[in-house]
Amino acid sequence: MTAPLPKRIIKETERLQSEPVPGISAQPHDDNARYFDVMVEGPGGSCYEDGEFKLELFLPDDYPMCPPRIRFLTRIYHPNIDRLGRICLDVLKNNWSPALQIRTILLSIQALLGAPNPEDPLNEAVAKQWKENQPEAIRTAREWTRLYAKKG
Amino acid sequence: MKFGHEYEQALASEGFPEQWLGSAIDYKYLKKCIKKVHRELEGLGLDKETIHRLSEPLSQPENARRPSIGQHDFYSAEKPHLDSIPEEFTPQLRVLVDSATGVPLDAMLAPATRARLQKLAQSELIAARRQAHLGHHATHEIHEPATMELTKERTNSLTPDAQDAKWITIPLASAKAFFDLLGPKLEELERLREAETGKLELEIADLGAAVENVVEPVKDGFEAKRQVSYRDLYYWREMFRLYLENPIFYSNLEQNAGALTFSEAKSRLEAYDQQLRSTGLLAKMKTPAAKQAAKQFLDLNVDILKIIRFQEMNARAMSKILKKFDKRTHLEGHQFLMDLRTKYPALLPSQPVPGQKPTGGTVGFANSIARDLHAEITSKVLGIVPQIDDWTCPVCYSMAWRPVSLGCCRSLYCIRCIIKLQDDGHARCPTCNADTVTKADGRNIDFEAMDFLEKYFPLETKRRQKENEKADLARSYGEEFVKPGCEVM
Ligand SMILES: [Zn+2]
Ligand SMILES: [Zn+2]
Repeated sequence: MTAPLPKRIIKETERLQSEPVPGISAQPHDDNARYFDVMVEGPGGSCYEDGEFKLELFLPDDYPMCPPRIRFLTRIYHPNIDRLGRICLDVLKNNWSPALQIRTILLSIQALLGAPNPEDPLNEAVAKQWKENQPEAIRTAREWTRLYAKKG
Repeated sequence: MKFGHEYEQALASEGFPEQWLGSAIDYKYLKKCIKKVHRELEGLGLDKETIHRLSEPLSQPENARRPSIGQHDFYSAEKPHLDSIPEEFTPQLRVLVDSATGVPLDAMLAPATRARLQKLAQSELIAARRQAHLGHHATHEIHEPATMELTKERTNSLTPDAQDAKWITIPLASAKAFFDLLGPKLEELERLREAETGKLELEIADLGAAVENVVEPVKDGFEAKRQVSYRDLYYWREMFRLYLENPIFYSNLEQNAGALTFSEAKSRLEAYDQQLRSTGLLAKMKTPAAKQAAKQFLDLNVDILKIIRFQEMNARAMSKILKKFDKRTHLEGHQFLMDLRTKYPALLPSQPVPGQKPTGGTVGFANSIARDLHAEITSKVLGIVPQIDDWTCPVCYSMAWRPVSLGCCRSLYCIRCIIKLQDDGHARCPTCNADTVTKADGRNIDFEAMDFLEKYFPLETKRRQKENEKADLARSYGEEFVKPGCEVM
């Protein structure tokens, strides 16, 4: 017998639907209310602009004592995101707080797209390129966005 | 014609108090005034084309260097004196002429107008006679320095024989009559706003006391005697929750904050009334006092709508009549409106910031009435019945029970959530990140908050207590000892 869904998850899900964040959506699976299909739009003005990035998000049993597990499904050229789509973001690790929510985490991820940080890399190769030849790195990021994250 | 008719009809048929109607803007009469202004201007040879020409640039290259001062700047005061705008306001035309010949220095004047202006400049008599006719309002010596300055500035940049230029002013008696009618009306409307807002604030305070009385937390054994039912507390909470979700005349939503127009507000109030009926909330109220207070709450909203409606219509009448004034006389009456806005900050919301979405739909004094009274209702009436959303634990989103305060910030947590945080090795407050979780213990229970929650959320408290008992059992004896199927709600 599965445990009933905690009130917190029910409320968060409700609010994600009733007051959606612009440029972000998160839809729980019918058969697993802890598993979400996520879509994040690349922020305007960044090299991910006009891209639509798919992610998967899972709320472990311990949530909100531990952070949601989340990764990119769409390929993305970014120094803090590795080839498996794993994300290097402090609030998903040491700086997680149970008062954070799905919505705030997704906003942080969107912000990370707007401000890549090659000094704290997860993807060494991309970070290296980013530091040594930023215009080229940005061009590649745009190219990948066009190739893999096309809208529609 | 269309608006004038609609306006008169609304004033006559919508049951406004007699006293208010005396303060209403006399639209028809002002329209007649505008006709007079029009005739006076024509009498001066200042028809539409002439006035337009007066404000047209002399020639293109010179235009580029031209200071941005309206040539028929008929408004006498350079800087409005805040206390005396309606008194000192004297509509007039100002035209720059050659001081020797009286020939207007502006190009493209019709010959007839030139002759007219020439006469005006040469004959002090005409001006004096006009001023005597108008009384002291039409004199404007006080503004002489400003006029001189203008003269210099303009002539330096425009004409070689600068010293010979001077301004002459043509007071407009009929235009003055127009503004003399409009000015005091606005003062009356502002006084009406103040008086009615004051009255409604008293009503709100009164209602606050009534609501407090019917929802006052039930004390043991007291209920029967005081004819108070804790159920009423829940009905009121729901009633106010619905109101907060969809406020009637003022919106707090980030997307479009501000006062709503009368018609929006009216349909919201109708929808709210309908909601209270369809949910049976009104019918469910247990005590006569609660029923009475509910009626009072709805009546208050109706009263607020009425004054909003009245002020909104007057604001529209004012705006329409000033537009008409501009259109018929080609004098910029809106300067008057802008100065009034400085004098009566309550009159109109500040001009929208470019690039920002304009907020608020309604106009005139109605806007500040809606804003002020919404704030008043929120704090003095709605605030009496606490909403559960203000008392939930940031970790589990249920009512914080038993409430624990860590002392670092104002957050209240459930004691069980804090224990869980400690068990999981979280040392920091989830809300403010202070290092307070590890050393929290029984002394952090907020008994005052606990007392409050017990009183105002008796059902939620019972539910949480049951849950805790069950969890304690499970903790002591294992999950299988908790009888399944006796879930409370
Ligand atoms: Zn804190
Ligand atoms: Zn809690």
